[in-house]
Formats: sequence, structure tokens, C-alpha cells
Amino acid sequence: MQLKAVGQGVQRLDINQKVRGTRKYPQDFNMEGQLYAKVVWSAHPHAVVKRIDTSVAEALPGVVRVITYRDVPVNEYGINIYDQPVLVAPRHLAGGGQGGGKVRWVGDRIAIVVAESERIAAHARDLVQVEYEPLPVVDDPRRAMQPDAPLVHENRESNILKHIVIRRGDVGLALAHADVIVEGYYTTHHVEHAYLQPDAALGFVDDESRIAVISSCQWPADDLHQIAHMLNLPEDQLREIVPAVGGAFGGREDMHIQHLAALCAFVLRHPVKIVFDREEVTQRTGKRHPFYMRYRTGATRDGRLIAAQVELISDAGAYASTSIPVLGNAATFALGPYKIPHARVDAYTVYTNNAVTMAMRGFGATQPPFGYESQMDKLAEVLGMDPVELRMKNLLDVGDIAVTGNVMTAETGVKETLRRAALAAGWREEDGHWIKPDLGTPSAPYKRRGIGVAVAYKNVGYSLGFEDKATAKVELALDESGEIARVVVKVAAVEVGQGVLTALAQIAADTLGVDMDKVRLALVDTSETPDAGSSSASRHVFISGNAVAGAAAQAKEKWQTILREETGEMHVEAEYTFRGRSVRPTTPFDPETGQCEPHISYSYATQIALVEVDVETGQTEILEFWSAADAGKVINPIMYFGQQAGGVHMGVGYALTENYIQQEGRPRARRFSEYHIPTVMDMPRQFESIAVESAPDPNGPFGATGLGETPTLPTAPAITNAIHDATGVWIESLPANAERVWRALRAADKL
Amino acid sequence: MLLKMTLNGEPVSVEIEPDDLLAQVLRDKLGLIGTKIGCGEGECGACTVLVDGVAVTSCIYPAMKAHGRRVETIEGVAKDHELHVIQQAFVDHAAAQCGYCTPGFIMAAKALLDTNSHPTREEIVAGISGNLCRCTGYYQIVEAIEDAARRMG
Amino acid sequence: MWQNYLFPATVQEALELLAHHGGQARIIAGGTDLVLQSQRGQCAATVMIDITRIPGLDAIEERDGYITIGCQVTHARIAASPLIRQKAEVLALACGSVGGPQTRNVGTLVGNVVNALPAADGAVALFALEAEVEMVDASGRRWLPIAEMYAGVGECTINPCAQLVTTVRFRPLSDGWASAYQRLANRKALALPILNTAVVVGLEDGVCREVRIAIGPVAPTPFRAREAEAALVGQTPDAEAIVRAARLAADAADPRDSILRGSRDYRKAMVEVLVRRALTEAVTKAMP
Repeated sequence: MQLKAVGQGVQRLDINQKVRGTRKYPQDFNMEGQLYAKVVWSAHPHAVVKRIDTSVAEALPGVVRVITYRDVPVNEYGINIYDQPVLVAPRHLAGGGQGGGKVRWVGDRIAIVVAESERIAAHARDLVQVEYEPLPVVDDPRRAMQPDAPLVHENRESNILKHIVIRRGDVGLALAHADVIVEGYYTTHHVEHAYLQPDAALGFVDDESRIAVISSCQWPADDLHQIAHMLNLPEDQLREIVPAVGGAFGGREDMHIQHLAALCAFVLRHPVKIVFDREEVTQRTGKRHPFYMRYRTGATRDGRLIAAQVELISDAGAYASTSIPVLGNAATFALGPYKIPHARVDAYTVYTNNAVTMAMRGFGATQPPFGYESQMDKLAEVLGMDPVELRMKNLLDVGDIAVTGNVMTAETGVKETLRRAALAAGWREEDGHWIKPDLGTPSAPYKRRGIGVAVAYKNVGYSLGFEDKATAKVELALDESGEIARVVVKVAAVEVGQGVLTALAQIAADTLGVDMDKVRLALVDTSETPDAGSSSASRHVFISGNAVAGAAAQAKEKWQTILREETGEMHVEAEYTFRGRSVRPTTPFDPETGQCEPHISYSYATQIALVEVDVETGQTEILEFWSAADAGKVINPIMYFGQQAGGVHMGVGYALTENYIQQEGRPRARRFSEYHIPTVMDMPRQFESIAVESAPDPNGPFGATGLGETPTLPTAPAITNAIHDATGVWIESLPANAERVWRALRAADKL
Repeated sequence: MLLKMTLNGEPVSVEIEPDDLLAQVLRDKLGLIGTKIGCGEGECGACTVLVDGVAVTSCIYPAMKAHGRRVETIEGVAKDHELHVIQQAFVDHAAAQCGYCTPGFIMAAKALLDTNSHPTREEIVAGISGNLCRCTGYYQIVEAIEDAARRMG
Repeated sequence: MWQNYLFPATVQEALELLAHHGGQARIIAGGTDLVLQSQRGQCAATVMIDITRIPGLDAIEERDGYITIGCQVTHARIAASPLIRQKAEVLALACGSVGGPQTRNVGTLVGNVVNALPAADGAVALFALEAEVEMVDASGRRWLPIAEMYAGVGECTINPCAQLVTTVRFRPLSDGWASAYQRLANRKALALPILNTAVVVGLEDGVCREVRIAIGPVAPTPFRAREAEAALVGQTPDAEAIVRAARLAADAADPRDSILRGSRDYRKAMVEVLVRRALTEAVTKAMP
């Protein structure tokens, strides 16, 4: 097959409208006579709701309705477990299900005020009176695990939502024989997705009497699944339309707003618009899990890893969301991309009254690298070995066995990412040894330079037995001469900014052998576009790309038949479902040993940071940064660069500036002026993206896997390892902001 | 109150509330949805428009301040059907991913290049330091603006 | 929020409007703080009196031995002003570090002062410049030392219902004088300072004739480290003397714990670092 689109930096399909400002996001849609809704949020992180009085609010002129628990047919939802009330009911009326009776975090909802204008709705929401009886707040998962901790969900025996074990070999014996053992206790923090477009939705009844929403989201079919349960309606009486989405990063995997707009339309049979402001997005939607990670790693004197013992505790917040699969992922990646014959992993996720935690770029693969890559540098230091060399000795290769007992296959390209990144950053390889580059002179006498490396890997596609599939439909319009005039690809793969529309169009174009300008992707609308799963798990290029390639190949075959048989047909249609299990069936953890086939495919990254640390203030500046990733075949090099740079942006914020601070379950970083994503000035001054195509996946479309998440994973440990190289102090908690580094320097008497 | 301004070169009169902010007037009263609201506190720059050639965050800018002024929004940047050089450079460098911050960046870049046609990289970085992007890591945006400056000669 | 938005043509008219609305009106210039205060229920005024169209209040000029800055002058204009950069560099640097370009394009220095926050960059620099402000009310105009504008965190002594500030002035820094600005924040733009310090030094024959050290936020208002200043006056500002002064400044500073911006002990330690660096830089620049 001749590649004319795949591998080329073709122009993004949506970019013309985006630079003109004409591409519409959910808040840009309006309907004649629409009403406006505002949510009444919980005022407490943990409290019994004793009474809800909407009468004053409802008496305000212009208020149409105050929607409460009474209006919700089945008052529960949740992406994984139906453990969240849609609208909390007072305790004496709560009854069965998750109707509530109490609020479990500040993102719980009491009511939705619907009014003729946004101003009136905003005013009226302050008039809804709610009587609470505050309960003790549990805000640390380690405390929440104790038997005497207050229960977040009283129908459970414990706040521990899930405990996963992995047992491989004999860790005790191996550690007893290890020449060196290093230990560490690493903690990560709550992180906000901070997508730029605040959640917005417009609910209405469509011309086929369906309850419809125009909304931002990541997986429309799953939204409908949950909304159908909540409204007690069949899914075919529901519809979700997904226009442009202003970023997601996992943050829109859970429903924040679309179910509320659907409920309003269901109750009022009228268009209702809801737009969150930034404070609502920041304080009332989910976050990345904080992890508390204890590592013990043993190695031989010549630098071979032999054993690792890991405990992971994650803060699930008030509701399950995807905390269990996130924990599962974290457990499978707890050791990093290394061969370690003896391992023991205990992973827990625990309910608290903190913010709900959920998917966020990496999905449990983002926190462990801070642990395992810090451990690698500690080992390198103890062994007196170069950090690149130590990693080279231990990285997984094709045929190696990972901690879950699975054999690494053809797409294992991690070593090459390390080699390429190290060479780009100035390392030299001599006689099998790796030699660190000279770092130059610091820009001030009170600054120190350091360089740090980190490696990470991550699954592509859903994991651990959860079925991954996508369906695509390809329609060809033929011209008089029988040539393909237009191609329409219908696939409900949500474009959240990552470029999936363009990548899928490239795959369709080359599969069909047509020019890109003939290919159009249909607007995602559950009534028109077949389910392709979520925009998550770095999966669309692999899973939906295979679906599009399959549908396109079938369409091409039909078209060629038409040409051969001269039927004169002008229209060709083909639909194809790709299932991940057709290339590699994944399996759940064995409950005793954790052994399994965890993932469909993988991508890998090595990053290197050259930093300068001000040893008087603790401030870190990143001078240069290298990011080498292997996600198989590069579909679009310009967008590939964008994923790397964007992933690093999120990693830099994770490492240095971002911190979603709560105190006793109450948000303290409440808005953008208090939650600091890096500005352009905070990014590394020099940045190099290295596309390593050393290990294409024979099962991926054109050999591609997926790059959406991997470039975020190694950033933080690359930076903290560089800080160590510069200063000699280990940073074991994120973010490594100035004060934290200063404290570490002070504790080590290095000020 | 009656707000009169020159909007993208055309005189406009619009009845507003005294406490309306410019972004609300543009979006809700004039249908110019290209101006995005990201934070509502002048912190992310998505709502950037130009008032008398100067970049302001319209989400915290009292609309009445624009009375009698010349206001430019993203909708006025492309002339007829042709993209402005800055827009074309954003296209060529894939300087937009989700695109929500893009109009604000383009307006900030325009304010910069309208007054400084040969900015250094540092000046470009400073010029867009009031705009947040969560997708791109900024490099392609900086390169697009550098490229636009080159193309504008 | 507010229900009326007015543009007086003169200062006199602005004062009359304030009086007419009897406590319900507030002066607005850039509004970058006031709009948010109004939205968050921290300002109950129902009438906004916008002074940005009154002629004659938009100048940065040197006259009668002073640099004067009108109340309409934005941070961006100050940061870019050749006059300020040459003769009051600390103020240009401070104003250039506020928020992002859009905020600096709209927000004014005088607004920064009347908001009375202890770490307001422009105000901290004005403390080091020993600025005065011209306050106008029904009884006339008078110049007040900037320190007299402050009653506490966010509390200005100006009566917002009857008075307004038209101008800031200070003495330009001449030969033998120099200034420096140091700022520590969680990111390089769009961030309130963890700590900031503005320093002005006047040297004569290699000896400090005058030293002014302003720091924020280490007290309810921008703070002058008087003991540290006194310790340097009459001294040769060598490294040792500067370190001693910086320590005195840290001793005198009384910052509070902020969960978002930094602990008391970190900030206190940073006072020493930033003041030392600022003094070193200013002294170097002041040397002939």
C-alpha cells in the first residue's frame, strides 16, 4: 500500500475553523427559548442532608423549576459502579439506592435551578435552603483504611474499595540475597485536568422525541448507558451530540454535566443550557489520584534488578469513578518497564471525603514512575553506576516477562527510546558503558545544574479483561466515472484536541488510496455514528484506527466489485467492528497471584531534563528537555510533536507548579489564579521531540500504537532526578515546588 | 445602557446591562462565539480581544469601557475568506489542538505583531505569557508566531 | 453587580457623583481587581464611576523634581516607559511582573495602591521610592506619603465614597542611586508573589547615603525594613554588610502561613535571600 497521508504532517481537519473561531463548543450552541440551569452544590465535604427547601427559590420571578431528587427516576450513576447520587435526597427520604441522605464531597449536588435567564438561575440557587448535619471528614486514605475511620459509604464494611495483589517469585528470599537494597516512600498529589473549555451542555427533546444533549464528553455511548439507567429510559430514546471539545485528558470520562442537562430536558421537555464556570470545574469535578507509594528494590552489585516490593495506596475520593481500573493499571506498571524476577505488589484504593479521583492522562501509569524511577536513580547512586547504564541493563525486551507474567512482544521499543534520548542529551557510549555529558556552567553562583533521566511505559487500549472495541462506518460517494468523489467516515471517536479526526482520516485515505481532501469525518452523534469507545487509554489510533481501516478496506472491496461488475452504483457503505481481543485477549488479575495478560499493546517514552536549581530559594528551571517516545509508526509527525510537547507540559506542571490543595475536604486551590498550570515561560527553554519508530506493532494500523498519554509519564521523575543530580537531595513528594526543594536542602544541611 | 463601538471595522450599537462584561456582550448579544471564556477572572487569556489595538481579557472587562472604542475579535482577523498570516501560521504549525485557547492566542499574537513586527523569541514568549494552553506545550504556538512575523516581513 | 456605569468628564464631576450616590458608588479605573471583587460579593457598590476618560490623568512625566504618574496609567505603560526604566527602574520591573500582558494593559498602578494588598508589586516598589499620592476630595487636594494609604490587608485609608487618588509622584533616581526588584512566585507569569522586595540605594563616595528596602507580603501592608536600612546607612555596602542587613530584614519580617503561596518560615528565610540579592544588584548598579 502506498502511503500518501499516513506518516505525513497533514493539516488537521478541524484547524481552519479553530483559528477562525468558528468551531463550536457546547457553550456556543443556543436554542430558541432555551432555559438556563445552575447547580446547587453541597456546602460540606461530609454531612447528613436533613432538609431541602426550594420554596423561596421557586417563588423568585423567572424561576421555572427547582429540580431535586424527586425528579430523578433512578437516583444513581457512575462510570464503573452506580455509587453516586444524581441529586442528594434528605436522609429520611433517601430510601434505597444511592439516593443519598448525605453528601460525601463538595461536588455532590442538591438541586438544579432552572430559570429564564442565567442571572436569575444564579441568584435563585443561593435561595435554595439546605439544612446539613456535618459528619467527621476523612481526608487521608491511610487514615480511611483504619477500622475505626468514619465510613464514606455506610453500606460498606470498610472504606477500602479495592485491594489488588501481585505475587511473583520469592521476594523475601531475593531481597535477603540482594547486594544492595534501596527504599523510598513517595507521594503524589491531586491534579486538576484544567482543560480550557469549561463543561457545558444543552439538553433538549429532539424531533424524534428523544432526550438529547449537546455536550463535551469522552465516551458518548457510555454516557447514554448511564443516563438511560438514571432516567429509566431505553438507550434508543436518548441521544448525545458531541461538537468540538476543549480538552479532556480523562477529565470528561465521567459525566459532570451531560446527565444534568438530560435530566432538565426530561423533566421540563424544553431546551435547557448549563455552563459551568471555572470555579465549578475546578472544585466540583474529578482529579488525578494522589498515590502513597512505598518501594523496596533489591539488586546485585553489577546492577541487575532482582526483587521489588511495592505498596500503593490511592485516594479514590468520595465515589468509585474509575478508581479500580486506575489502580489495576498502576499495579501492572508498579515496577516500571524492567525485568524483575521477584516482585510483590499490594495496591489499595480507598474512599475519602476528598475530591472524586478519576482518569487523567496516564490512568494509573502516571504516579508509579515517580516511585520506580526515583528508585532507579537511588540504586545507580548506591552502585556508582551511570543511570542510563543501569536502566539499559534492566529494561524489558521482546521475550522478557513482565511482573504480571505476560511475555513482552514485538512492540517493545523501550530500550531504543532510552538510547536515542541519552544520545540526544549528550551521553556517550564507550565500551558498553554510558557516560554522562558535561552540563556546562550554571548561570549564577547560587545555582547548580543537574540532568535526570526517566523511562516509562503504558498500555494502549483497555486492560485486564475489559472488552475494547470500536465500530466504524465508511461511506463512499462515487462520481460518474466510478471514481471515489467523497468519503464519509462515521465513527463516534470524540476529537478532544488530540487530533483523532485527522489521524483516522489519514488512515481512511491511505487504505482507500484517495487524497485526504476527499475524506470527511461525520460529527459525533450517537444517532448517526457507531460507538467507538472512549477517547482515552491512548486507544483511538489503534482500536478505532483498525476499525476505520477495516471498514475502509471493505468499502474498497465493494467499490472494486462495482467497478468490475459495472453495476453503476454510486454509493458504497461498509461497517466494521474491530475488537482488541482479536489481536490480544486481555485477562483480569488472578486474585491470588495477580498474574494475567494485562494489556493489548504499549507505548514507551524516555525523557531527560537538564535543570538549574537555585539552591537558596529551591526554584527549579528546566533548561533543556528531550522526549523520546515509541508508539510504533508515526501517523502524523506534526501532531506527534504536539502530543509530546503537550504531554511534557502536563508533566512539568505535575512536577513543579500544580497542586490541587484541599483542607479537610474543602478546596483551597479554587480557580485558575490558585491552580497553576505552566505558562509559556515555565516550559523548558529548549525542547526536542524524538520519534522512535523502532518497534511497530504488527496489530496496529500501519504499525501504530498510541501516544496520547505516554509523554506525560516520565516527566516528573526526570525532573526530580535532575534536581537530585544538581543538589544531592531526593524529592519524594510532588510537586517539587520551590519551598519543597528548599526544605529538602535545609533538611540535608545543603542551604 | 447603549453601547456603541466599532467592532471589527463596523459601527455597532447594542443595548446592554450596565454590569455586562465585554465577553458576554460579544458572545450572547452579538453572537460572536469565537471569543471564549475559560476562567472568568482574566487569568487564562482565552477571551482576549483588542480594544484600540491593545489586548484585554474581555471576561473581566466592563463592556461599557468599550464605548466609543475600536474592538477587534477573532471574527475580524481573517479578511474576506482569506486567513490572516497569523492564522495561516497557526494552521501550518498545528498550533491548535483542542482550539479553545486559540482565538485568544491569535489575538494576543496580533496585538504583539501589530506593534512589533520583528519580535525576538523572548518578546513573543512574553507577549503570550497571559494566555494558557493545556494541550500544545506552547512550542508550536511560539513557532507559528515567529513564522508569521517572518512572513509579514 | 453594579446597576449603573458612569464616565465623569472631570475629577470634580467624579467627586460629585460619589457624593450624589451616597456610599453606593465606587471609582473604577482598569477594574481588573474591582470587577472580580464585585462578582464575588466583596464590593457592594451599585454605581461604577469610571475615571479613565477624564483628561489629564494619563501622563508619565518628570516635572518640578518629581516623576508623576497619573491614575489612568497602566502597568504596561510604566513597564515600557523609558523615563521610568531610566530613573525608577524598580517600578518598571515591578509593574512588568504583575499578572500577564492583558492585565498589565488594563490595570493601573494607582488601582494597585488603593487595593492595599501587602504584596502588590507596584505598591511595594512605590514604598521603596518613598512615593506620595495626591488625594482629592471636596476639601481639595493634598499629597500623602504612600504609607499613609494603608490601614491593613486590603484596607485603604482613602474613603472610597468621597475621595479619589489622581496622581503618584516620587523623586527620580539620579547618579549614584540605583534600584532593584526581586520576586519569587510559583510560576513565571500570572502568579501573585510568594515574596517580593524592592530596594533603592543611594551611594556617595562608596558609602550608603540612603537605603530603602520594601518587602511584601510580610506584614499587613507593604513593609519597610527600617533596621536593615539603618544598618547600611553610612557603611560601605560590601558583601558582609549586605548579608547583615538582609538578616535584619528577615528578622523584622512577619509573614503569615499561606497554604497556597508558602509557609511563614520559608518566606522569612526568603526575605534574607531576596533582600541580599536586591541590595547586591542595586549597589552594583549604583557604583560609578
